[in-house]
Amino acid sequence: MTPRHHLDPATVLSHAAGALSQELSAVVATHLEGCATCREAVARAEDVGGLLINQQHPQPLPDARAQALRAAMLDRLESTPAAASRAPEPRSKDPDRIPAPLQPYFGASFRALKWRWMGPGMHFIRRTGPSGGNMLMLRIGPGKRLPVHSHGGTEITQILSGAYDDALGHFGPGDVADLDSETEHQPVTRAGAPCICVSALDAPLRFQGWLARRLQPMYGI
Amino acid sequence: MALNRRLETTSPFEAARRMSSLDASAPETKDWTHDMVAVGRRRDRDAFMRLYDHFMPRLCQYLRGIGSPEAIAEELAQEAMLRLWQHAGAYDPSRSAASTWLFRIARNLHIDRYRREPTNAIGNPREAEYEAEFEPDGRNTEDYTESVQLKRRIDALSSVQGRLIRMSYFEAKTHQEISAELDMPLGTVKSHLRRAFLRLQGELGEPA
Repeated sequence: MTPRHHLDPATVLSHAAGALSQELSAVVATHLEGCATCREAVARAEDVGGLLINQQHPQPLPDARAQALRAAMLDRLESTPAAASRAPEPRSKDPDRIPAPLQPYFGASFRALKWRWMGPGMHFIRRTGPSGGNMLMLRIGPGKRLPVHSHGGTEITQILSGAYDDALGHFGPGDVADLDSETEHQPVTRAGAPCICVSALDAPLRFQGWLARRLQPMYGI
Repeated sequence: MALNRRLETTSPFEAARRMSSLDASAPETKDWTHDMVAVGRRRDRDAFMRLYDHFMPRLCQYLRGIGSPEAIAEELAQEAMLRLWQHAGAYDPSRSAASTWLFRIARNLHIDRYRREPTNAIGNPREAEYEAEFEPDGRNTEDYTESVQLKRRIDALSSVQGRLIRMSYFEAKTHQEISAELDMPLGTVKSHLRRAFLRLQGELGEPA
């Protein structure tokens, strides 16, 4: 399916620059797997990186050091054969398989996930990433209304299956919601199938209302 | 091979354009396509060492900037150059510049080196997040921004946009880190970067 909701250009740029948190990068990479438009945008941001490197006026290394490194490189050329070109591995079509960039956080199989109850028809799994950001996998039953919430920092959500609607539009599998801290939204999941999505968050969510305040400790975020 | 076919079908116009951009450019915008292709097709050591002499100090500087100590910056830069030597056969000049290639390789080596694994890690997340460093897919010839044009657009950025671009690429600062360091709201950081990126892609008009 061709995604209709894409990454914020500021996110694309920072991802290409290697300047996103590891957690946000994992969700971005999940989106990129299925989005040629955003892959192309990342490639353009990498062109910028290449040009910036090229434009630098570097401090030269001390002469002796530079000569030693150069000689070492010439030696290594001798012993390093050309790499065989390898075809990229075909992407698995198994619906049970969790996208590769998320596997370090959630394992390889949707079926094997150990969901925690969060409210009627709502389940979640939370992981704290290595840079302290949170990864949240959500499974929301069909036709559910999530509490209104906004975000203290950045939240990037990739829809893995099912769909929801909110003020920003209809979000289906492959779409990403890359939200600003100002955005306040209330997703409502589509009828039929549950919606499974994964979010990376830079900072705690701020919920409003009594149900939300009850949910807050369960999120633990 | 796709690479050979593409080279053989290069139009006279295209060839002339490449030659002229080679001649007319300052050293920092020299077109390295010719040397890259020579390395890829003939394992040309002289061509490789020209690339090495130009890019090695730049890669070291870049890697130091994003946080590698001097010795590790040298080690990773050597490794990046060696990967270019190994993989140049896959280089497609119609799809990316040599500098883009090296940027991607050096960035990935750096991320690999310093990334902390999630506690329940399985597999290699870097492989998953930054794959295809040699052959990014979905790229068309016309999408590859001319480096001369891109250079002009970078020079034309406002000073704040230029600063945020450099903090992102040369210091690997996150939006939140930039926001804290410059005491600038997160939303403002993002909108500056967003506009800078659109400008670099020529979507907000060309610099006068």
